Amino acid sequence: MPAFDIEKRLEQVIATIRKADPEVKAYVEVFDADAKDRVKEVKERIAKGKAGKLAGMVVSVKNNIAIKGKRMTCSSKMLETYYAPYNATVIERLEKEDAIIIGTTNMDEFACGSDTTHSALHWTRNPRDLGRVPGGSCGGSAAAVASDMCDASIGSDTGGSIRCPAAFCGVVGFKPTYGAVSRYGLADMAMSLDQIGPMASDVATAEKIFDVIKGKDKRDPITDVYKDKKGKIEVVGVPKEFFDGVDPKIASATKKAIQKLEKEYEIAEVSMPSIKYAIPTYYLLMCAEFSSAMQKYDGLRYGAAADRTKDLYQAFEVARGSNFGKEVKRRILLGTYITMKEFKESWYTQTLRARKIIQDEFNSILKKCDVLAGPAMPVLPWKFGEKLDPIELYSADILTVSANLAGLPAGVVPAGEVSGLPIAVQIHGRHFEDKSVLEVMKKLE
Amino acid sequence: MVVIGLEIHAQLKTQEKIFCGCPTNYRDTEANENVCPTCTGQPGSKPMALNQKALDNVIKIALALQCELKRDILIQRKHYFYPDLPSGYQRTSKPIGINGKLGDVRIREVHIEEDPGRYELRKGTVDYNRSGVPLVEIVTEPDIKTPEEARMFLEELTAILEYLNARRDEPGSSRIDANLSIAGGTRVEVKNINSFKGVYTALMYEQVRQQNMIRRGAKVVMETRHFDEVSGTTVGLRKKETEEDYRYFPDPDIPPVLITKEMIEKVKKEIPELPRQKSERFVSDYGIKPDDAWILVSEIELANLFEDMVKEYKDKGQALASWIRGPLKKQLNYRNLLFKDSGLKKKDVVELFNEFSLSKITDDGMEMALIAMLDKKTSYADVKLALNLVKIDDTAELEGIVKEVISKNPKAVEDYRKGGGKSLNFLVGQVVKLTKGRADSRVVKELIKKKIG
Repeated sequence: MPAFDIEKRLEQVIATIRKADPEVKAYVEVFDADAKDRVKEVKERIAKGKAGKLAGMVVSVKNNIAIKGKRMTCSSKMLETYYAPYNATVIERLEKEDAIIIGTTNMDEFACGSDTTHSALHWTRNPRDLGRVPGGSCGGSAAAVASDMCDASIGSDTGGSIRCPAAFCGVVGFKPTYGAVSRYGLADMAMSLDQIGPMASDVATAEKIFDVIKGKDKRDPITDVYKDKKGKIEVVGVPKEFFDGVDPKIASATKKAIQKLEKEYEIAEVSMPSIKYAIPTYYLLMCAEFSSAMQKYDGLRYGAAADRTKDLYQAFEVARGSNFGKEVKRRILLGTYITMKEFKESWYTQTLRARKIIQDEFNSILKKCDVLAGPAMPVLPWKFGEKLDPIELYSADILTVSANLAGLPAGVVPAGEVSGLPIAVQIHGRHFEDKSVLEVMKKLE
Repeated sequence: MVVIGLEIHAQLKTQEKIFCGCPTNYRDTEANENVCPTCTGQPGSKPMALNQKALDNVIKIALALQCELKRDILIQRKHYFYPDLPSGYQRTSKPIGINGKLGDVRIREVHIEEDPGRYELRKGTVDYNRSGVPLVEIVTEPDIKTPEEARMFLEELTAILEYLNARRDEPGSSRIDANLSIAGGTRVEVKNINSFKGVYTALMYEQVRQQNMIRRGAKVVMETRHFDEVSGTTVGLRKKETEEDYRYFPDPDIPPVLITKEMIEKVKKEIPELPRQKSERFVSDYGIKPDDAWILVSEIELANLFEDMVKEYKDKGQALASWIRGPLKKQLNYRNLLFKDSGLKKKDVVELFNEFSLSKITDDGMEMALIAMLDKKTSYADVKLALNLVKIDDTAELEGIVKEVISKNPKAVEDYRKGGGKSLNFLVGQVVKLTKGRADSRVVKELIKKKIG
């Protein structure tokens, strides 16, 4: 077998980007010159037998993750001119293992959305049907993977931001256990839910990346509890509530796909009644944390500049008023209201109790089952311009948010088509048994 | 009736900042040198684990103030917009110690928080070197009844922080918010006072201002005021934010930190005898006056000096205490110095006190020696040589000088004879001056009286 030429592969990717991206618009920026320099260095290391585990893998990065010297826009006008002065831990780890960073990908502004139409830069189209959304908030990453504009992408997932667009674009997306991958360098959305993870066209590639980026990092203390747990896989639980309100065609296609697992595992129907609390719990916590995360954007230090001739508070108001998009503002306002109530521990702390109920229920089901399987998205990717009100949009997250609330690993893997559009199966696993989730995902490919 | 409560913020002594590894010596470097993505709030930055040394210091302080310790430390976010606050929120813990006591003043709570950067309003610049320096906040119950009591409370608290070696040892490392209300009025808070003297001045001013308002029948409004150090007055600032406006909520990035038994045991071992106990022991062990003992223990180095020396001057404990409190402390205070920063060496102090207590040098000579030792940083032996301090014990020599002074000041002599006691002091002064402090003024006085009396 001839040796795989990583330089040729990079050229091929760049050619695909030139051809496809003007239409798909997955990228915010492409670093082709940097990547070409880098690939030469990596090639030399391969020749010397010193190459890293990801040598030559062409990786794109969601634009809310810091790459030193590159713009980190979060697809917001607020950060359109912000150049990150440091590398995220995941970028350091990828580069150490000789991955080639090819560019930054589009997203919903500050990760607020499920279709990437909330980007202040531009819309990204779904490569499987250019008239439809790619999902979100990592729409750019999923679209780039789906149209072979990279080998893999690094995304972030707060309530489904990796898994929703992966399902919509027909690629693999994996959200690791909360605490398995350092978030240092990931712009905050909702800190108790945010997690970085890989997207790729197959599970093996996603796993390779996960193995490189996982592990403790003193710059993100939530990784202190990280451990690599190996669990047995015998029983796959299928919670019946996961199918409530799911498009019937998607539901039956998903069930059919899950049946494939019968050959190896026992399939058991289980019940997870608390999932009905997932959406309100998620939106309350997320908005509260998001409003706090957004406090730092006042136009004084970086990004969009506040008018310094004005009174300080007026300047903050104008900078924030004119540089945040509508969805971001909606969530800041909701979160501000929630946190104002919090001084009596009335809302946020209460909601943490609801979260605990969901966590406990997951844990008790995962005592009987080793992983859980179900659909990823209740609907097919919608068309641009299709009128969806915020509540309808938020409801589309019902199947993904609970993994974030419980901190569990969850991945989606393509499972055929419905009406010519991709659908996916979602697998949940126990804390730090990320590898079990990935193993079951492989069985579904 | 006056009711006063205090909130004291003191920078904790640590090498690194509270949530990152940046150094804390924010005054020693160029602006914005000691910074990183975390303490400047860059998008994507994360807090590191709470600095253990800072935490140990807070626990130490809480224990020294006889607080009950909480089981764990919960970090919250306090939100407001200001240029010195890079994240738009300040991280501040829930109480770590509660229900403590210092003397008659109850301590409501002790907690830890992060210092913001320094904003220069006029220049419009911010220096984030200070951003993330760990602070302890100590909140009292409104148990203080006079500005003088507030001053005394702060003095003792400072001494405790010094004994614990828990506070950054430099100017500006403490800031105090003081609130005062008087019967018939309401609570007024004066924010950000930078010195203990300032607290006293601000409280005196507020007390008089509020009393005058009530006397005139005006209504004292609940407000936050700013202390102007130069004029010694306070000015109304703005409507006080309510707790609601700060939107306190638990920081999702920082899991609660358990206060373990091991942590407490380790910290307990680092708590030395505290000023109050030391002072009581000095009184009982060395028979010195409580007032003097209190001055000695106000600075741990001074207390140690006393305790080292008193072993050699067992029968002169009170004399030694009086001397340290009197002449020595006077010269230190005059120069605004602590003993430890004065450059005085124990050996020199011992020699000086020894010669003085044996009457080998005069009061004036001793004082001149102290002045020279402090200002010229020289040893006592050198000072003694340079100033020729040895007392003139030769009466004949003294008589000659006395004679000279009498003949040169006939008017003073005449005044004295008419009953002017002041003139005698003047004449004694002249002799002391001529001998450059080597004459014992008591002896001179007797000599002059004999001559012209």
